[in-house]
Amino acid sequence: MFSPEMCLWMIPFLPLLGSVIIVTLGRRMFPDRCHVPCIAGAIGACVCAVVVFVGVISETTPLRFGREIAWIQVGNFSANFSLRADGLTAVMLVMVTFIGSLIAIYSAGYMEVDESYPRFFAAVSAFLFFMTGLVLANNFVLLYACWEGVGLCSYLLIGFWYEKPSAAAAARKAFLVTRLGDIGLFIGILILWHNFGHSLEYDDIFVNVKAQYDAGVLDHNLLYWACICLFIGAAGKSAQFPLHVWLPDAMEGPSPVSALIHAATMVTAGVYLVARCTPLFGLAPDAQLLVACTGGFTALLAALIAVTQTDLKRVLAYSTLSQLGYMFLALGSGVVVGEHKLAGLAVTAAIFHLFTHAFFKALLFLAAGSVMHAMHDVIDMTKFGGLKKVLPITHWTFLCGAAALAGIPLLSGFWSKDEILATTYEAWHVSGGAASGIYCLLFFTALFTAGLTAFYTARAYFMTFHGDEKLPPEAGEHPHDATPIMAWPLMILAVGAVGVGIVLGPTHLFESVLEKKWITAQFAHLASPHSTNLLLMVTSSVVACIGVGIAYWLYVADPSAAASVASRMASIYDLSRSKFYFDEIYELAVVWPMNAFAFICRVVDQYVLDGLVDLFGQVPAVFGYLVRPVQNGLVQFYALLMALGLAGFLLSVLLR
Amino acid sequence: MDFYSTLLILLLVIPALAALVVALVGSTQPLLVRQISLGTTVASLAVACVLAFGFLSTRTEMKERTFRPEFVPGATADAPHATTWNLIDFNMGRERSAKGGPKLGAIQFYVGLDGMNIWLVVLTTILMVASVLISWNAIKDEDRVHEFHAWLLLLGFALVGVFIAFDIILFYVFFELTLVPLFFMIGIWGGPERRYAARKFFIYTLAGSVITFLGLLAVVVVCYNKTGQHILTFSIPELVTIFNDLLTNDVANRTFYENFQFWVFLAMMAGFAIKVPLFPVHTWLPLAHVEAPTAGSVLLAGVLLKMGTYGFMRLCLPLAPDASISVGVPVIGTLSVVGIIYGALCAKSQDDIKKLVAYSSVSHLGFCTLGMFALNSTGLTGSLLQMINHGLSTGALFLLVGMIYERYHTRSIAEYGGLGSKLKIITFCMVFISLSSVGLPGLNGFVGEALVFFGMFETRMGLAILGTAGIILGAWYLISMLREVFFGALKEPHTEGHEVEDITPREIAALAPIMAVCLLLGVYPQPILDSVKPDVDVVANILKDRKAKMN
Repeated sequence: MFSPEMCLWMIPFLPLLGSVIIVTLGRRMFPDRCHVPCIAGAIGACVCAVVVFVGVISETTPLRFGREIAWIQVGNFSANFSLRADGLTAVMLVMVTFIGSLIAIYSAGYMEVDESYPRFFAAVSAFLFFMTGLVLANNFVLLYACWEGVGLCSYLLIGFWYEKPSAAAAARKAFLVTRLGDIGLFIGILILWHNFGHSLEYDDIFVNVKAQYDAGVLDHNLLYWACICLFIGAAGKSAQFPLHVWLPDAMEGPSPVSALIHAATMVTAGVYLVARCTPLFGLAPDAQLLVACTGGFTALLAALIAVTQTDLKRVLAYSTLSQLGYMFLALGSGVVVGEHKLAGLAVTAAIFHLFTHAFFKALLFLAAGSVMHAMHDVIDMTKFGGLKKVLPITHWTFLCGAAALAGIPLLSGFWSKDEILATTYEAWHVSGGAASGIYCLLFFTALFTAGLTAFYTARAYFMTFHGDEKLPPEAGEHPHDATPIMAWPLMILAVGAVGVGIVLGPTHLFESVLEKKWITAQFAHLASPHSTNLLLMVTSSVVACIGVGIAYWLYVADPSAAASVASRMASIYDLSRSKFYFDEIYELAVVWPMNAFAFICRVVDQYVLDGLVDLFGQVPAVFGYLVRPVQNGLVQFYALLMALGLAGFLLSVLLR
Repeated sequence: MDFYSTLLILLLVIPALAALVVALVGSTQPLLVRQISLGTTVASLAVACVLAFGFLSTRTEMKERTFRPEFVPGATADAPHATTWNLIDFNMGRERSAKGGPKLGAIQFYVGLDGMNIWLVVLTTILMVASVLISWNAIKDEDRVHEFHAWLLLLGFALVGVFIAFDIILFYVFFELTLVPLFFMIGIWGGPERRYAARKFFIYTLAGSVITFLGLLAVVVVCYNKTGQHILTFSIPELVTIFNDLLTNDVANRTFYENFQFWVFLAMMAGFAIKVPLFPVHTWLPLAHVEAPTAGSVLLAGVLLKMGTYGFMRLCLPLAPDASISVGVPVIGTLSVVGIIYGALCAKSQDDIKKLVAYSSVSHLGFCTLGMFALNSTGLTGSLLQMINHGLSTGALFLLVGMIYERYHTRSIAEYGGLGSKLKIITFCMVFISLSSVGLPGLNGFVGEALVFFGMFETRMGLAILGTAGIILGAWYLISMLREVFFGALKEPHTEGHEVEDITPREIAALAPIMAVCLLLGVYPQPILDSVKPDVDVVANILKDRKAKMN
């Protein structure tokens, strides 16, 4: 009865059921036990995801479900509830449901039991429904629906504490900025549907594009624009420059939400989308270059901002931006030049980094949440310090995550980041002309960013856990470490953060799943084998160690040095501290002009357009005013008019 | 007469009779008046639902070139989709002339249901119930409660009549009849500027629809003159057949028909565009909306505006197909896109919450007309669905604004803040309906919007792409409004001491059905899409044929 096909729809269905139970029954009947349906749904989905994973591994064709169940079918437009699981989906599903389960469990300890407790778990469950739906969807409209659905859950959860004005503002910002990107995605879908066979199913579109390519009739310009539009959607969801501004503010949400939605899963949806559309991007090298540049630039920019932030969660948020940038850099480096076909290598690197990043970044956010819990919602690193002894579990688990993020050799972040560097390195060497130069630049940017990553991660770690013990007044005398229900997810994730890389990376297990169950089936023509680059591994290790070393020197060995270095680089420091003034630039360049324009429209509407209508309405009155003297009430005048009229009539008859 | 035809008659008789009874009950028993209104509107809703289910089960595939109304009262066995109920018979007292002579028809009581109007009728009956419920305590002047409800029920009667009429004269009578009750509802129970608003609304829309009537009569006359047997008919399905036959067969007069269609199109556009309302003839709408009592706004936005879009689809497209293709697509398409963007911008800058919702109608109706002038079945279906969607979501938005106004007696956004921590359920409903309005997938708005864009992308790619700006702009003003009014720190206007309560059961009864339908239409719209298909395809096929002939 537990067939993989059945599990396919069970995966989104179970969290949905959980959410519905919480909303309908839980709120009234067991308001303080509302985490139970959520956790049960998540774990159930996780079990099903494992079954699906095994199914995908053992079957030769992807698992499918529901292509015949119509959702919207009109004329030549047809969107079905069609699901599909191949290697990529299976990997994503296992990751999403596993991390989702852990975070749901952690939240049961983290969230305070009050009247909004059911709301939180209902939204988290709904999120898991949409997120699993997003990766399972086999057509673009269903993907778009789930895409908006996760955005909605993100909106609701960022604004969870909606009484806080900053949370309400952050929620609005997140919704609007990502929706701006969604327009791109929507137009991209329109273009693909219109030009590649009036179908919305992935397979049909990809096959059509390839057929047109093989026949030499592919309109490259069109494909380029389709890819750019899809990428705009991806950039909105995955917070890439210039649509990155919403993610740091999104930290107003509860920490488990930051871990689940804004680190591990939803923000990687953009990466997933671009990876899924590799058969399109692989044929549009210019679009790939744009993806790579955006990714590389965002990685650098976010890392530069992260080095000076003092809000622990924001450091992590900028780090997420930066790591997502890495993933896009990898995806954009999947160029196909003659015999060198890097698309397979590129997507493997990006998805592998997505996978490991989910573990260590979720861990870091949960650990930061644990710090926040102990410090009674204080998260500014300048207000506490030396928490090593106070919060031992949090300290060790945070250390595991931080080390993995910093790219310390043999930990999971090291393996996946190295693959990305290798991909960019390859792209630099195989592509020709200007592209080669750009990829070269991107490679060194990525390497430099790796150093920065190690630095700011170590900095956050040292500032929080090392140095003199310092507690904010809010925390009270004896802050408590994570309770068991929070500690277990932390420890499991810590094991993951340390181990998934070395288990799946050098053994090529991860690669082979993607390779056999996705890449060869869908775009074998864009992938060719490749070799490992040992020198690169050594270089990136050295860079990571240098970054950690500098952080150690500035924040542990010689704490006064940090301030003096900052003052020596005052201008850059200020730029970084103020996040390169992006919020202010947007305020000035987008928000203010739009509001002004809206106001102008309002005035025009009220006075010009409506004024014209009223003016037109005066025409009868004016006409009446003109002829009114005729009705002057004088009998003689009427007689005169009658006589004149009669005379005129007679004349006209006689002279005819 | 069969069961369903009787029900269809009841759908008209119930509100008309109720209006009469309510008026006769008089000012002494306001509660009885309210109860009668509620009872009869619920009865109408039940009848409409039975009809809808009946319609879904009896409808079969068809390959016809004109509309085919079901459940026509007065139909005979050999002509089940036409009626024999004449109102004014032009053959009266005269023998039907021998073969070849003029075939004078009659102005008929010709009503029926097809895929194009059935869901609009259901929408009307849903919103009528909500309107009665929301007016329960809103009409302060107890002496005139019976008047208000009589006008309200009369409005319901007229609205159903417009949609189910298949005779041009009948259609026009109902079309204008809607103005009268609404004129009094705005003018008597409206806000401070109610007289000005009522007058403007009445004269502006009347001025347009009189021209439309001329256009319709012109079609009747041309059909009479140009056909060999001189057929005089007012039946919409017949006119569509005859006129399109003329267009196809009467090649000699081709230029004449081109010019004629152009003028007919302009005439129809005059009335329908004002009614929709299209940019730039929309300025009566914000005023009328803001001044009208809540029930008036709900029906005005929810149903009355649909008379314009419905008129375009039922009459303008099939009776002026060439002009719709050559003039309609560029002109109305562009105006729609401008309306989408301009309406949204105007909505954003309002500081009166009701005005914001009013301008959102201008923006949303832009989606309706944009989809319609895609002129293919995808766009037409999307447009039709968008009519229902807008009726539901904007109707519900006005209900919610009315609820808040009843509690605090102000509509100024600046005076509110953080209502979410006090009015939890109202806030939930507001967020839900706003999401439906911004077209979030899973709720009704998305299905319609998606079809509109996919349809339009086939016809005019540029207009579709420009129109997508509405996706973000719609979210911009609504999400901003939510943030200002419902989130953040609690800020309430002065309430003169009385305690403000969250939603009441009566208000839940008004809102819950609408929200349920929103969810249903978002998740499983296919039955409705299938049911409108044959009739939408009639229009789409006419246009497709004409397009093929033009090239």
